[in-house]
Amino acid sequence: MFMQLLFGLSALLTLSGAIAVLVTKNIMHACIFLLASLIGIAGLYATLGADFVAVTQIMVYVGGIVILMIFAVMLTGGKDFVSRAQNLLGLAPSMGNKWTYTVGLLVSLVFLLTNVKLISSIVKSHPAKTFGNEFPSTVNQLGHLLIKDHVLAFELSSVLLLGALVGAAMIARPRKQ
Amino acid sequence: MNQTVVSYLSQYEFYDHLLAFFGNNQGLLSFVIYMIFILIIVTMCATIGGLGTYAERKISADLQQRVGPNRVGPYGLLQFLADGVKMMTKEDIMPFTADKFLFYLAPLLALVGVFSTLAVLPFSSGFALADLNVGVFYLIAISSLVGVAVFLGGYASNSKWSMLGGMRGASQIISYEIPVTLSVLAITLLAGGMSFGTIVGQQKGLPFNWFIFHNPFAFLAFFVFFTGALAETNRAPFDLPEAESELVSGYHTEYTGMRFGFFALAEYIEVFVVCGVAAALFLGGSSLPFNISFDILPLQLLEFIIFMTKTLLLYYVVIWIRWTLPRLRVDQLMSICWKYLTPMAILNLVGCSIWIVVFNGKSIAELIFGGH
Amino acid sequence: MIPAKFDGLMPVVILMAVAVLLFLGGHFVSVLLAPKKPSHLKSTPYECGEQPVGSAWSMFNVRFYVVGLIFIIFDVESVLMFPVASIFKEMNEMGHGGYALIVFLSFISILIEGIAYCWKKGDLDWVKSYQVSLKQNNK
Repeated sequence: MFMQLLFGLSALLTLSGAIAVLVTKNIMHACIFLLASLIGIAGLYATLGADFVAVTQIMVYVGGIVILMIFAVMLTGGKDFVSRAQNLLGLAPSMGNKWTYTVGLLVSLVFLLTNVKLISSIVKSHPAKTFGNEFPSTVNQLGHLLIKDHVLAFELSSVLLLGALVGAAMIARPRKQ
Repeated sequence: MNQTVVSYLSQYEFYDHLLAFFGNNQGLLSFVIYMIFILIIVTMCATIGGLGTYAERKISADLQQRVGPNRVGPYGLLQFLADGVKMMTKEDIMPFTADKFLFYLAPLLALVGVFSTLAVLPFSSGFALADLNVGVFYLIAISSLVGVAVFLGGYASNSKWSMLGGMRGASQIISYEIPVTLSVLAITLLAGGMSFGTIVGQQKGLPFNWFIFHNPFAFLAFFVFFTGALAETNRAPFDLPEAESELVSGYHTEYTGMRFGFFALAEYIEVFVVCGVAAALFLGGSSLPFNISFDILPLQLLEFIIFMTKTLLLYYVVIWIRWTLPRLRVDQLMSICWKYLTPMAILNLVGCSIWIVVFNGKSIAELIFGGH
Repeated sequence: MIPAKFDGLMPVVILMAVAVLLFLGGHFVSVLLAPKKPSHLKSTPYECGEQPVGSAWSMFNVRFYVVGLIFIIFDVESVLMFPVASIFKEMNEMGHGGYALIVFLSFISILIEGIAYCWKKGDLDWVKSYQVSLKQNNK
């Protein structure tokens, strides 16, 4: 009962947030709707019993990425926060003509079908779990996997993050004259 | 392990009677029990938050050789109620240039962020609302909502003072989250788990079993944690986001009445939560000395009192610090975080991990006195 | 003991609901009690009594963005370290302490490398060295 309620609330938050991001014309509001959507996704993880992933979602996305996006918006500042697009076509990125739109539609159709094929095979082989209502600790399992089976990935992710840090610092540094 | 109020109460006989009363509906009964405890805890925390404003003024008055509030009630004790009534009867003003939606949303986000942290606070071994497996981690993550709220409060007002305060606040809160998280990691290493039940359970016994005295690195980690946590709650000397002598009132300059009240309430409850977390992580939390563990109700109350005593003592220290130290400059704030606290926190983390392997997880006291 | 079924997330959700209810209730009371005499001058943003000049939504310095970027990297690193840290003691008791220590320390050493780089290049300074040198050049 409670889990179904939590799932319903999270799904509602995720979907309505995502739709609101698309519909709203104010970029700061879009950031906040995205925040709502991301919290909803954390709730979805929680209903699946993945407590660590749910909290990571909040920690990294809500506490980090959204704030970074807000800072990025404040970098541009100014009065151009509100898009002046009048209709739906105006909202779409204005970088194409009929041909590009047709090709884009075809590509996305193929992509969609491939995904449906992939997902259907997964669903068939692993029937959807009913809500177990249990919270076994996923943290210890994750820790053991990280330190034993996937130790190389663990270390390499650190190197990747170092690269990201150096790259971020480089880009943000203005060129010396 | 993973004790909650419901699983604690379910040991007793009256739980079965209650269950029968609710038609054997486990979910409904848990909901009712949680609801009652949450209402008690929220009321208590709101009162502590209110008394916090009173204590703040009274202690500052003491430190400055003034009298402080003394009109409303005995010793001015009811001052916070008078303040609350005043806030409710104040006119609600919103700048006409403001972003209305975000202006409404910001105090709500602050409240939600702070209230959610109360769920894992270990008031006693039986009376914690929820002992999540990811306890401390959850607490750090969910309290970052406050950073977003502070920024939004500043942004939505569309006033220059608010905007500056909001930007400073958001960058300060995220920066200081790093040393705090790394210090918590050191404790996670020592305790072997993130849940408050595990962490507090390992510190039973006399004060030298507390994690603060576990090893020199943990001792340092406490101060790093406490400084970082002070900065995360925007308390002086880190109150740059609301620096009243330069930014008027910072991110809540344009807020009046109840909405300002919500920001203030969220801030004072957050200070309480932070003190509680510091007490639970480093100072033994609610654990009783001499490893007494009769699972009876009075002992739970005793544990609760011990926890509250430690927390409120730390609360006093927070206020004391506020009225002793002058405010930092922005550049000093950032250099303290990134050049002093973060390297120190990393050092503590490395030190704790090496200590565990070299001394097999024993604390200094265990090494000196031997055995368990 | 009851099963762990209904433990866990329920108080979190209820607390969030209580926060929302408190917010709405506070607003309701304030609407009932508070006076309502709006005027244009009252609702101008506060600028020390002067007429406000322009909007507050202006371009902000890039340094906030840099702080955000560095924060996210450290955040993700600490998230990755949490599961390993919580089984570290267990590994040590099982006799794999040395191995766990090497894995853990090599992860942290790369983190230290990152912070050392940023420190050396001056990205951790609030007042950047090149800004200072530019100002001196202008003089």
